[in-house]
Amino acid sequence: MTLNEIQLQVMRLPLTGKVFLEGPAGAGKTSAAARRLAYMLHEGVPGESILVLVPQRTLAGPYLEALSQVYAGGVPAVVTMGGLARRMIDLFWPVIAAEAGFAHPELPPNFLTLETAQYFMAHLLRPKLDEGWFNSVRIPPNRLYSQVLDNLNKSALVGFPLSEIGKRLSTAWVGDQEQSHIIRDVQASVKLFRSYCLEHNLLDFSLQMEIFSQKLWRHELCRSYLTSQYRHFLYDNPEEDTPVAHDLMIDWLPEFSSSLVIYDWHAGFRSFLAADPLSAYRLKDMSQAHIQMRTTLVPAAGILEVGSMLVSALTPASDNQTETSLSDFNDENLPDKRESLAASLKFSYHRYFPQMLDWVAEQCEHLVHQEHIPPQDIVILSPFLPDAMRFSLVNRLENLNVPVRSHRPSHSLRDEPATRCLLTLTSLAYPEWGIETQQSDLAYALVQAIEGMDLVRARLLSEIVLRKQKNQVVLSSFDVIHPEKQARITYRLGERFEKLRIWLEQAAQDSQELDFFLSRLFGEVLSQPGYGFHNHFDAAQVTANLIESVQKFRWAVGPVFLDENRPLGQEYLQMVQQGVIAAQYLTAWEAEERPAVLIAPAYTFLMSNRPASVQFWLDIGSSGWMERLYQPLTHPYVLARDWPAGQQWTDQDEIQHNRASLFRLTVGLLRRCSHQVYLGMSELGEQGFEQRGEFLRAFQRALQKLGVEEA
Amino acid sequence: MKNILLRPAQKEILEYPGGHMGVIAVPGSGKTWTLSLLAANLIASGVLEDDQEVLVVTLVNSAVQNFQRRVASFLEEQRLLPYLGVRVRTLHGLAHDLVRDRPGLVNLDDRFQIVDENEAGRIRTQIVQSWLSSHPEFVDHYLSDDLNESQVNRVVRKDLPGQFNSLANAFIRKVKDYRLTPERLRVLMEDIPVPLPLAEMGIDLYTEYQRALNYRGMVDFDDLIGLALQALETDPDYLERWQHRWPFILEDESQDSSRLQEQILAKLAGKQGNWVRVGDPNQAIFETFTTASPDFLRKFIQREDVIHRNLPNSGRSTQSILDLANLLVDWSMHSHPVQEVQNALDAPPWIEPTPKDDPQPNPEDRPDQVYLFMKKFSAQGEIDAIVKSLVKWLPENKEKTVAVLVSTNTRAQQLVDALQRNNIDFVDTLLRSTSATRISTGVLRDVLDCLADPNSSLKLSVAYRAWHTQTFCEESDHPSILKAANWLQKMVFVEDFLYPTVDRDWLAATNDDSLEPLIKQNLDQFRHILRRWQAAALLPVDQLVLTLAQDLFSEPVDLALSHKLASMLRQSAQTNPNWRLNNFSQELREIAANERRFLGFSDDDTGFDPTKYKGKVVIATMHKAKGLEWDRVYLISVNNYDFPSDPLTDQFQPDKWYIRQKLNLEAETLDQLHTLLSQDKYDWYEEGQGTQNARLEYIREHLRLLYVGITRAKEELVITWNTGMNNDKQPALPFLELARLWQEHLTQDKL
Repeated sequence: MTLNEIQLQVMRLPLTGKVFLEGPAGAGKTSAAARRLAYMLHEGVPGESILVLVPQRTLAGPYLEALSQVYAGGVPAVVTMGGLARRMIDLFWPVIAAEAGFAHPELPPNFLTLETAQYFMAHLLRPKLDEGWFNSVRIPPNRLYSQVLDNLNKSALVGFPLSEIGKRLSTAWVGDQEQSHIIRDVQASVKLFRSYCLEHNLLDFSLQMEIFSQKLWRHELCRSYLTSQYRHFLYDNPEEDTPVAHDLMIDWLPEFSSSLVIYDWHAGFRSFLAADPLSAYRLKDMSQAHIQMRTTLVPAAGILEVGSMLVSALTPASDNQTETSLSDFNDENLPDKRESLAASLKFSYHRYFPQMLDWVAEQCEHLVHQEHIPPQDIVILSPFLPDAMRFSLVNRLENLNVPVRSHRPSHSLRDEPATRCLLTLTSLAYPEWGIETQQSDLAYALVQAIEGMDLVRARLLSEIVLRKQKNQVVLSSFDVIHPEKQARITYRLGERFEKLRIWLEQAAQDSQELDFFLSRLFGEVLSQPGYGFHNHFDAAQVTANLIESVQKFRWAVGPVFLDENRPLGQEYLQMVQQGVIAAQYLTAWEAEERPAVLIAPAYTFLMSNRPASVQFWLDIGSSGWMERLYQPLTHPYVLARDWPAGQQWTDQDEIQHNRASLFRLTVGLLRRCSHQVYLGMSELGEQGFEQRGEFLRAFQRALQKLGVEEA
Repeated sequence: MKNILLRPAQKEILEYPGGHMGVIAVPGSGKTWTLSLLAANLIASGVLEDDQEVLVVTLVNSAVQNFQRRVASFLEEQRLLPYLGVRVRTLHGLAHDLVRDRPGLVNLDDRFQIVDENEAGRIRTQIVQSWLSSHPEFVDHYLSDDLNESQVNRVVRKDLPGQFNSLANAFIRKVKDYRLTPERLRVLMEDIPVPLPLAEMGIDLYTEYQRALNYRGMVDFDDLIGLALQALETDPDYLERWQHRWPFILEDESQDSSRLQEQILAKLAGKQGNWVRVGDPNQAIFETFTTASPDFLRKFIQREDVIHRNLPNSGRSTQSILDLANLLVDWSMHSHPVQEVQNALDAPPWIEPTPKDDPQPNPEDRPDQVYLFMKKFSAQGEIDAIVKSLVKWLPENKEKTVAVLVSTNTRAQQLVDALQRNNIDFVDTLLRSTSATRISTGVLRDVLDCLADPNSSLKLSVAYRAWHTQTFCEESDHPSILKAANWLQKMVFVEDFLYPTVDRDWLAATNDDSLEPLIKQNLDQFRHILRRWQAAALLPVDQLVLTLAQDLFSEPVDLALSHKLASMLRQSAQTNPNWRLNNFSQELREIAANERRFLGFSDDDTGFDPTKYKGKVVIATMHKAKGLEWDRVYLISVNNYDFPSDPLTDQFQPDKWYIRQKLNLEAETLDQLHTLLSQDKYDWYEEGQGTQNARLEYIREHLRLLYVGITRAKEELVITWNTGMNNDKQPALPFLELARLWQEHLTQDKL
């Protein structure tokens, strides 16, 4: 890709001095900065002296790609603030453990993942729920745990004491007294969790951030290590990062020889994760040179029209950046507005949701096969991506031979048939754990585990061999069953089953951890010829993910429950069953290279920070396009830094914030779109309710005024 | 709307000046039509701002769609965009909109789920069972002394759980209508000096029920309504926003309004707001326990700040039938021997014919076509007589519509059997759930059943029929399908068909002579698709259902329903992590059997159109017949069991033989609740009073039911009665009286 003049200027900025680069998405800022990273290395800057900071790992893509094309040498650190915090705590643990209040500074730190933090929160709160805590809140326990954790994180990321959470939430609340009990319980839970962590050397995300920002960064040893190690700094998308990250960088910035901060207008999509664009803008004052990139990659005239139409329909009164920065959406010189709009905006009304999905698939097929648009230039977006919808779309597109991939921030391992197969076999190897196994479970497991096994024979076999003895489920041998039944199942399949059964019986006798057990099961049986995971890449991938989840669980939970003589494997299986552990893993965050149409939630697409010339916006009537997540136990805006203490959160605030985020979302999407937007609308939503979201109403009004007709 | 001819009474309503207005509309007076026209006029007049809508609230899903279409067609006549400017909702739909808008305001998160009636029933069953087993002595006090030990055991095991389940339901619905939390009820309980054991039990069950819902992150339909009101009360800005959005509120069927519905609409309308309520208190009939009451509308209309209008003209029926309906109202108001029920029916407005030159003139009067048949029939004899009458009538009236209306489903089934035996064409869809839902869930259920039990040749054969019927659009009892299905069912080893080995291949081995090549080919096709489905059975249930639906259905509505079912089953999977395929197919079985309300997809049960079934006999309950009309109507079983009149001597359907003194425990529980909530310290609980009141209410409601039944007829009406199962029943008192008054009426006319 060739760079334009201003991009070249950015790439070749001197190796000393602080620069603040700002502009709309799509202006080419990140490309320029990634090239600058390569340029710096080329100019002889030692790689290990460069720090690249991004708020979320998906945003590191362009930098990692730039590095992959450079010769070997010192490698720059491309990190998130959380990653840096963890690395520093690991390094300086002996220095900081006692001061931070840990009960056992002599023992190593135990870093928690989202999953294991959730596990401990459940462990602590489950008995409290039985005592009647949170009794007027209507959310399932697992979501309750995660919302309490969210409060801990907000406190660490926005930078206020844990003890203030309750006060902040309750003073903003307009409703009845019931809420005050709930908030009191939130406050107590937070405290309980934190002291438990300190007691057992557990570090959840909030504690990692808090220790790093408040203790380690202020500690001479750590600080001088960091400031001498890193001399050059690149910070992309600080508007998606948190106020505490900004505070820290404002403090740190003067120490670098060179710095480049790259700021996107009209963003801050991660506000529910405490992202704060206003706070990020403070970094501008710390930089001597300011550069604006205004020219966006030229979109079709019609896209400008769509933008202008929506901008006027949605502009929030309070947006002070609007006037200067949205000028590209107001091109008065367009010859025929209506015509160019019609060329770029396609839409179609449907009565039912699946009809809309059909329409999307057909249009996609046409674009790819008739108009020869590369599939990777097409994205299909919706506010959420429920499983049923994702599955239906992938299915339809695959049937039409359109390559497709779907991207969701996380995906539950539990839903993978291969995981269920592994867990069923595990339950059978360890019947003393008391995990229920039914005939149908075994049948499904056998269908997957044994090559050539069909469901009918698997079920027949399961009905015969699955026995209960002394309240425990055991497998009996194929060799002892009636010859007629043996013949029906076939001896070939029977032999394979028998080998698996014997393996399970013997493996269970060796005392071993669940993750070892699983990897042996995979390596010694399932991946062998004649078994179902043989040459089966996806199943292997799922197995690896499961093993990793078990391992992390063991590392985190093992030391805490050392004295209790409970098998961790059993605990893990039970937690998966109860849904406390969804066995969720992050899908590989490196962008998949395969050229395919992407299906993703709109925000996830924005966070991957790449353009797509054709965009499908689905389910326009859904209110999800503009509403924030409602979590009764926490509040992203009230816990934000600029929320005035003691002020009530009113309905007007709600509406204003919703409009503002819808505005940011549409501008964000259009900035990444050069060619066409397809709107998918269905009168009845997925659940069969009539849809009347604000987004739809805005479109309808605008379209009625312009007299544009349906595709 | 220049060409529409309006009656003076309609004109008065369309000249609505704003403010609160209440309209009483008699049966057949075109109230929905008038209200739609009012909505369209308001939109067309330009009083609405860009972001404003007329809010129409109606009772049932099927009415939503009707209303929307009607307003849309009025708007299109005026060249306006048909769906902008009006929002039509049921009360539940409205509450859903309000709560969904800001769930956080009422302590819900954005993924809150609405528990459907089936799941709620399941939760109650568990709670009731565990309560009864931890309070084994409780029921002794209420059981009849005449029961022997084995009877007691049977009642405790078989009857009580179901009875207490519906009792719990009534109690919970009632306290939710009063918006009382379990905590609040306990506080009240502490201040009551006398024991109220039934109410106490109700509170226990309510507490556990709420806890179970909270734990699942769910709300039930009643919560939804209470929470909507709570949201409106909590945040004045929020209320103001919706008041701005909906400057006009039109409420249809408001005789069925509940306390909460009235409160929500009053809140949205505001004191000075524009709120039009239309209904007919004489047609307030309910099938199960409800918190609705026609009194709300009656009291509303009497208020000084409310404009009162009537729609008295009906062009539906002959003058004779109108007279008969009016006679019933008049008798029950002035001459019913039980004074407390004289308020069941009310007039004015009396039903009046349409004025001269009306576009909908009344049918020509035929007094001889009103048959009040006093002959004493046995239960079977009555059905035989009806069949005989139909056999005679149908061939002479092929272009006319006819319905037989009964008061219970059991009776309807007996009639269905008789018509079937006599080869009479009949339509019983009104007795069952909406057809689209039923058929598509039924098909999915058959296939899931087969996947859950892959070794069963019987289930394989059932799934085959379902697949074949859907794929080739043939009737499921087509001979070739039956033959193939029969073959499948007789198969011994399913694997020899589905996954044959070289030496064991059922289909190949089947003798060509006995199985036509075409059927063989068809079975081979089925085998391939079933293998695909069995592979998909490993997927999470929602993905499985979607896969099946893609293969089975082509109609958009079926696919949309399947999509909804898929996400519903996924929700069930999350609440019940131990569920396997057989549980999911059981769930579908219950939806297909119409054992539950299915929210969403309002239009697949878009009303029932009697004119589509000319020359066929429609069988329906009087409840389901509301809003419909036929040329000829039979009302049967009008005896003192189905329509009791004397609270002391008549037998009542809610009576349970095993409860002492025929106490109605549900009514007694609610009466104890009433005492608990009463401010008056002399208002104490007296056993039996609740039962007595419930009987009076039952009598009132059945008077209205009879009125609804009569007013379904356009030209011809036949009423009969029977002596019941034990041959001891009498004609219903209002029926006897009507027959007498009708004779007098005819004689007067002759004079």
